[in-house]
Amino acid sequence: MPYFRDDEARSIIRETYGQVESRTTAVADVIYTPGEIARLPRGAVELALGVGHPVAAAGLLPGETVLDLGCGAGIDTLLAAQAVAPGGKAIGVDMTPEMVRRARRHAEDARLSNVEIREGLMEALPLADESVDVAVSNGVFNLSTRMSRAFAETWRVLRPGGRLVFTDFVLNGTLPEDVLKSPAALAG
Amino acid sequence: MLNVGFVEIEVGGRRSVGLDDLVRYPLFAPDFIAFLRRVMPVDRHAELVFSIVVTARKPRRSGSADGAERSRQVS
Repeated sequence: MPYFRDDEARSIIRETYGQVESRTTAVADVIYTPGEIARLPRGAVELALGVGHPVAAAGLLPGETVLDLGCGAGIDTLLAAQAVAPGGKAIGVDMTPEMVRRARRHAEDARLSNVEIREGLMEALPLADESVDVAVSNGVFNLSTRMSRAFAETWRVLRPGGRLVFTDFVLNGTLPEDVLKSPAALAG
Repeated sequence: MLNVGFVEIEVGGRRSVGLDDLVRYPLFAPDFIAFLRRVMPVDRHAELVFSIVVTARKPRRSGSADGAERSRQVS
């Protein structure tokens, strides 16, 4: 039985991610290469909150259109945009307005013209049918209270033959009820 | 994912993630990490969760180019 209603869960996640601050690169340092980090704005690197490197695993090609589901402050969107240039573009979608603002600022700071950041839910993506070649996501699907809906939406926006590559956390066994009821655990 | 229709689903890159790894994330306040250390069995502190990499593909339409080829054709 879920401990949070959909709207409660989204509210907790928006509040947590909207308020998060970071002045270290501790997360990025274990995921991305020094060369990748050097090509990105410091703010995007400090706000890396992912669990892996789906962009590296996706084998992106110049000319492709990439969707980053739950782009946060934009680190994977920016790396994807670099990987698909020239001719391709990266679209980041996030439901937290503050993260959308941050990702747009980081795209400007990186002087990348092939990045678009949109506010929206991964369960109701603001994209047309069959409009992207690759969807990536980094530690975000587990935040959805309607994961099947999120996968269905990803399917809808992918072109036939399109790829989905995501990294995520999977529980190793059950969690105590006190943890399951914790808003901090939900947002993480 | 299977129900939605994805094919060629592969799960790899499994890596243990423990409480000491979670400390790096600014999402987790020190008091929440302390709470986890208190309520989680000690033998799970080093392997609280796993990170995984999942890849999958939306099937091609029969006789059509795949997404990358289609993108290159229109760019």
